[in-house]
Amino acid sequence: MSTVSRPTPAWAIVTLREVMVKARDRSYLISTLVTLVLIVGVVVFNAYMSTKAEEYTVAVNDSAATAVVDLAHETGQADGGNTSFEAVVASSAEGAEELVSSEEADAALTRDADGQWMLTGNEELSSGLQQGMTEALRAYALEINAGEAGTTSEALLEGSEFETALLNGNAENQFVAQFTGFVFGFLFYMAAIIFGMAIATSVLEEKQNRVVEILATAIPIRQLLYGKVAGNTILAMIQLALYAGAALLALTFTGTADSVSTIIPASGWFLVFFLVGFLILASLWAMLGSMASRSEDLNNSSGPVLTVIIAALFAGLFAKGQLLVVASFVPVISTVAMPVRMLSSEIPLWETFVSLAIALAAAYALLRFGEKIYRRAVMQGGGALTLRKAMKLEQ
Amino acid sequence: MLQVRNLTRRFGDKTAVDSVTFDIPSGQMTGFVGANGAGKTTTMRMIMGVLSTTAGEILLDGEPLTAEARSSFGYMPEERGLYPKQPILDQLVYLGQLHRMSGAAARKGAIELLERFGLGGRTKDKLESLSLGNQQRVQIAASLLHKPTVLILDEPFSGLDPVAVDSMVELLRERTSAGVPVLFSSHQLDLVDRLCDNMVVLQQGKVIASGTGDDLRAQAVNRHRITISPDAGWVRDEPGVRVLDVAGPTAILQFDDDDARQRLLATALTRGSVEEFAPIRPSLSEIYREVTAA
Repeated sequence: MSTVSRPTPAWAIVTLREVMVKARDRSYLISTLVTLVLIVGVVVFNAYMSTKAEEYTVAVNDSAATAVVDLAHETGQADGGNTSFEAVVASSAEGAEELVSSEEADAALTRDADGQWMLTGNEELSSGLQQGMTEALRAYALEINAGEAGTTSEALLEGSEFETALLNGNAENQFVAQFTGFVFGFLFYMAAIIFGMAIATSVLEEKQNRVVEILATAIPIRQLLYGKVAGNTILAMIQLALYAGAALLALTFTGTADSVSTIIPASGWFLVFFLVGFLILASLWAMLGSMASRSEDLNNSSGPVLTVIIAALFAGLFAKGQLLVVASFVPVISTVAMPVRMLSSEIPLWETFVSLAIALAAAYALLRFGEKIYRRAVMQGGGALTLRKAMKLEQ
Repeated sequence: MLQVRNLTRRFGDKTAVDSVTFDIPSGQMTGFVGANGAGKTTTMRMIMGVLSTTAGEILLDGEPLTAEARSSFGYMPEERGLYPKQPILDQLVYLGQLHRMSGAAARKGAIELLERFGLGGRTKDKLESLSLGNQQRVQIAASLLHKPTVLILDEPFSGLDPVAVDSMVELLRERTSAGVPVLFSSHQLDLVDRLCDNMVVLQQGKVIASGTGDDLRAQAVNRHRITISPDAGWVRDEPGVRVLDVAGPTAILQFDDDDARQRLLATALTRGSVEEFAPIRPSLSEIYREVTAA
């Protein structure tokens, strides 16, 4: 044999192949690209919707109505608002309604003989218009009534406002935490299924085609498993980084990045937990692949793993209070639950590390266990194996 | 030289391979024959370490075989195994790299082998797009690519056309002349006869015959052909002689011992003109049929 000493360890060669095969897989590339476009699209669309200027034209026929519309405009522009109201003066109430029916105005604000206000739309009254006018009319009436009572609206409203506070966390974080939790959960869910399935099918493919017998004579079979797990973990991390990067870039460019700084530390932790959580699942998927004998078997046997993944997703979405605390220490589920906890409240760093340590221990244990099963089951011909049968196998 | 010593494998109560002992000498081709289920594949899988042994050992040049040494063997499993959806060159390079070749060396070697098998123009094709015979050639290339130190080939010739058999034989001869021990199983006895220096016959998990062609022939039942004009019918009455066939002047005979043979020849010389009296050199396939029928 021409002894060129092995330039790279065997598992690294396997890893490289796993990555290259996927990188050349057209359907995988297309689906990644489509997802990227979707992510950027959603962010841009959201930004567009939130900064879009709302313009309403309101037909009026007296100065009081004009004052109400002006007041609505002032409120709409206050605090960086983008809603504008413009009054169009008509000669009469009928004239104002005509402007509405000819669609020159969005609505008409008029008063009948008894002084009853009437907001008239053509086919619909948009909620933005209605809300703006409601608030403006209330403020206007308050001003008038206060003047008649010899006081001011400010005096009447004094002491009617409170500030908000939360014992744990703050209100803005709560919303961000919920939203980010959803994103984390979903990213983990997608990666765990797409790349987990990829590990299982890649193991099964080699078992089915008996390539594994040739591979097993060339390298220790453990290295084959490590290479596969490493390869798909790298792929999952790359994809995660791509999606997250695209989302952050889009957020920054559209100027909606206010909350980005608050989620970055938790996102960093999410990456760490993601890595460990994925490693655990990778061992499980490899076991499933080695015990199956046809790809149909995978559909049946992947149920328990999918349940765990969905539990992780739901923990990120819905778990609160004590349940979330417990979830944040359960391996795999903690992948989403712990970063979400860190977002919504201050938690001691040791808790994070304990949770990470538990997950790491689980990853190591499962890798060793998975290795045992894999080594036995992957050489076995015949039908699909159950876990119990696989454990009884001699090598 | 690879030596198999008392190799045994049991599956539950069933003993698939029962204390099998034989040698695969360096630089020689050893044919591994036996009926289906005789234990050939099980033995080969144990040699390759794909299956663990119940008992016995395998020695390479006198030392127990290690996984490290095994990793430079070439192996062709019974159930063919490569990646159907991968381009053939890519997967050969991958397997070469796993066998410690550099990427460049693996690529060069793989292209050379594929060209010799007439697949030089199809290196980018997926394996599954090739005909079965061509897939088989790629499989062979996979087992030879890393210049293996020992070759263990399970049914390497099945499914090959005569031209492919010839190029395969040529490749194997190159390997044996480089001193590599080659073990291959086959049901094509004429091929075994043509190629092999040695033969190992397995029946129900046991070696029932093994050795070089000459050894086996020497052990085989001693038969002679005699042609004596005008008629050979009289041989039937000779003591110590079993007559297997008589047709006119020619008879096929089997002698109980050397004395019987000498006696018959002496008699023959007095009965007419002896035109031929010669031992019959049995082919290995005949020996196989004989030993397995016993």
